[in-house]
Amino acid sequence: MALTRRQFLKWAGVTGIGAVVFNGCRVPDHEIQVQSPVEMPEDLVTGRDNYYATAAQLGMASEGLLVRVMEGRAKKIEGNPDHPVNTGKHGIRAESLLQALYHPDRIKLPLLRIAKGGPFLDIGWDEAINHLATTISDRRPDEVLLATPLLRGRVADVVQTFAEGSGIRLQGFDALGCESVVREALRRLYGQNTQPDFDIAHANYILNFGADFLGTWVNPTHYSRGYGEFRQGDGRSRGRLVHVGARYSTTAAAADHWVYATPGSEGLLAMSIAYTLIAEGTADSSAASALTGGQGARALAAFAPEQVAAQTGVDAQVITELAHELADSHNRPALVIGGGPAGAQANGLFNMMAVYSLNALVDSVNRSGGLIFNPEPISGRIRTTSLRDWKQTLDDMRSGDISAVLVREADLAYGLPGALDARGALRNVDTIVSFSSFLDETSELADLIIPCSTPLEEWGTDEPNPGPGYTTVGFQQPAVNPFHDTLSFGDVLLQTSSQLGLPGLPWENMREAVRALAQDLHSRGRGSVVQPTFAEFWKRTLERGGWWDTGATADGSRPALPTLPSRAPSVTAADPQRYPFHLVPFEGIGIGAGQYAHLPWAQSAPDPITSAAWDSWVELNPHTAEEMGLKNNDVVIVESATGRTIRVPLYINPATPPNVASVPLGQGHRAFTSYAARRGANLLDILEPVEETETGAFAWGATRVRISGTNQRRVVPKLEGIEPARQLHGEELIYVHKA
Amino acid sequence: MATRTQNTRANHKWGMVIDLDRCSGCQACVIACQAENNIPLNDQSAFLDGRAIEWIRVERYWEGDYPDIKARFLPVLCQHCDNAPCESVCPVYATYHNNEGLNVQVYNRCVGTRFCGNNCPYHARLFNYWEPVWPEELRNQLNPDVTVRTRGIMEKCTFCIQRIRRSTRGGKQVEDQAFNPACVQACPTDAMTFGNLNDPDSRVSRKWEDERAYRVLEGLGTNPSVKYLKQVDAHA
Repeated sequence: MALTRRQFLKWAGVTGIGAVVFNGCRVPDHEIQVQSPVEMPEDLVTGRDNYYATAAQLGMASEGLLVRVMEGRAKKIEGNPDHPVNTGKHGIRAESLLQALYHPDRIKLPLLRIAKGGPFLDIGWDEAINHLATTISDRRPDEVLLATPLLRGRVADVVQTFAEGSGIRLQGFDALGCESVVREALRRLYGQNTQPDFDIAHANYILNFGADFLGTWVNPTHYSRGYGEFRQGDGRSRGRLVHVGARYSTTAAAADHWVYATPGSEGLLAMSIAYTLIAEGTADSSAASALTGGQGARALAAFAPEQVAAQTGVDAQVITELAHELADSHNRPALVIGGGPAGAQANGLFNMMAVYSLNALVDSVNRSGGLIFNPEPISGRIRTTSLRDWKQTLDDMRSGDISAVLVREADLAYGLPGALDARGALRNVDTIVSFSSFLDETSELADLIIPCSTPLEEWGTDEPNPGPGYTTVGFQQPAVNPFHDTLSFGDVLLQTSSQLGLPGLPWENMREAVRALAQDLHSRGRGSVVQPTFAEFWKRTLERGGWWDTGATADGSRPALPTLPSRAPSVTAADPQRYPFHLVPFEGIGIGAGQYAHLPWAQSAPDPITSAAWDSWVELNPHTAEEMGLKNNDVVIVESATGRTIRVPLYINPATPPNVASVPLGQGHRAFTSYAARRGANLLDILEPVEETETGAFAWGATRVRISGTNQRRVVPKLEGIEPARQLHGEELIYVHKA
Repeated sequence: MATRTQNTRANHKWGMVIDLDRCSGCQACVIACQAENNIPLNDQSAFLDGRAIEWIRVERYWEGDYPDIKARFLPVLCQHCDNAPCESVCPVYATYHNNEGLNVQVYNRCVGTRFCGNNCPYHARLFNYWEPVWPEELRNQLNPDVTVRTRGIMEKCTFCIQRIRRSTRGGKQVEDQAFNPACVQACPTDAMTFGNLNDPDSRVSRKWEDERAYRVLEGLGTNPSVKYLKQVDAHA
């Protein structure tokens, strides 16, 4: 009779003989060790691994990467220790690039739709390029729109030259307008066209308005590198972080002091701090004089703490204390940061001007521990198109002035506010060409899909924005051969350009374009790689993952500071009686504003504050929820003044202010692979298409909502138990060191 | 043959220190671990059923009430206890303590009694309730150095033993920081430090003696190989 191990154990257990057997048969140590999980028997050969250095643009972020490749397959992504921006570390989105590469729902070859709404047919690459070229050449150039994300580096050069050569319109798309307001504020204040670096590692005090720079804002991996040193770096005292914001974010949780300010009032608060610094004589005198037009504190008297306390929701005493902390010599250098929802308001530029002017008042501009200016980039950058211009573009689609739309990972149908009905406008366009690797909402409407490769299969470069304070060019090389029959976006444009006979793009493919840039860098004879021959320079640069020149810094010159306004701009908002909650949108820690929702690791990364994943939810204060008779997991209707609604389950968050409702962005896709589709709700659907008054940028933080219950329940998928976990007094799991 | 590693590796005692004052709770360690160790995809139902597998997870605890409220993060992984409560209850010796201080799980011995998980005070052990399934294309990303665990067995953090084995193959002594587990490698704030506690000059040994160092649930006497450095509370 054959006796299995399970049967033996059962038998031994019930007969009592087991006790004798086990007592007498202790397994020898060496036998256990031989069977450890990864000690291969001698006849098994583990594969050889190769590491390729490359770089990737991840939204606004940039990370230098090392890709472990075995048998021609990428296995693991890690940070490149040499790269100045992330110095060996990496975030969730970089890790998830593997899943973009091997995604089961990738589009594997070019697809053509013969009739609107009909099925896609497989076509060859020659036919696809022909169709694309014809789409452009058969129309007046201004009838064709090319929409891309905020591309940088060599591919941006190719895209911009292609658009200039063909005369077509080029617009940069980012669902949240990606900090264009911050950039404009810095341009007006300090004459900078490129975003400065924040020297967090050397600051002693950080006052942050709204930006979740440790979670999702701009380049969290880079900022987190500085934050670790800010807290516990060798040879320095511990820095102090104060966060001002309406949602208790990852950065708010890290802060020593979290200050709730009414959304949209961040500028008032910053101006009030500026007033206090100037009135008490603790501000840099030349900056104070310039910012007030020589009038001193009286020019800002309307922002005295007592004057703004009610509007900001921050006690006058707290405002004064913040000013004192900022002025304290022990806290120098002090750094002031702002962004995210604080800039995404109708008065966003006022807010950001006020916030970033504080750096001048505490003498933290272009110096260690403060703002560090970055030099102008070598390659092009595609800038955000404002919401104001997108509205015009959609009108042009409806009127027929735009008859062809070419989109590269610019999911207009998903990412523009629902009230603008981008989907309807796109339906009116004759021809839509998508260069996406995945069938997102806009690609679903496309007539031609040209599947472009993913970052691990491409040649390119990336100049981080913000950079580390000096010229940095990350080199992107294919770590693996294309997994499917795809070309890179740059290669498609170069082939099409060749067919159309466009000027300015002499390269046959992106590798040649990158080599041409490398030749320019080699000829400089300086920087991180200096070699006598170009062949050696090319090899070494690819090995190191890029080229950077610590001596190539910004020249430091800046224009005179402008005068700050003496009154805050007035803004109108939805009626607080009808819409009692400030809606505070926030990006998912993995999926961002939805552009990474197709990647399972990005989806399954729990939100740090709620531990929720894979779904949408609305966060309310416990007392507010109780007053409304709502419980965790109750499905509620969130309605904005647009009349549009979403239905999401409730997560009672004890850190949510009573008049705030927070909802994550990024879910609610109708398409975009099986991991993203039909999951949660698209918050962009209900956001009011409010423009920032001066720049026309999308004021995505300016929507008010009302919330009503339903009789439905849906459990929020999350790691924690149903009730929020709390520390037990006397049996702490997390001990605290009182400083 | 069987005892060839007995003496040559005895001078390693692997340990980890996690500085809670640096940790931002960003989840980079969680996903890096999943990528390195072939952890099954945690889909929505895994979260809803309370069966998500995370060898390292970031616990979030609240203190106080709004507006004086504070969220604190605690990354929790197998503590590789010297007196591990999980080891003594395994009826088939699937988990044992090796001579480098690791609490090791032998997958092909495990019969899935889950006694070890029940006895782990840190909830660091996770059970495979289902056969792990990846779409065919995504299987290309699997790490060939790490066994894919089948349905019905326990798994947990190994301190990335495959990296330890690769770096110490042949019994060689490795330099401090020559390699790191995936979580430590990824951590953007450098909150995690890993290394050889038998080397008094290693980074981890120096941090081990920090005045802020403590062990979670120290009163249980499990003697973990993971220490945490207390978060610092400045005045609000």
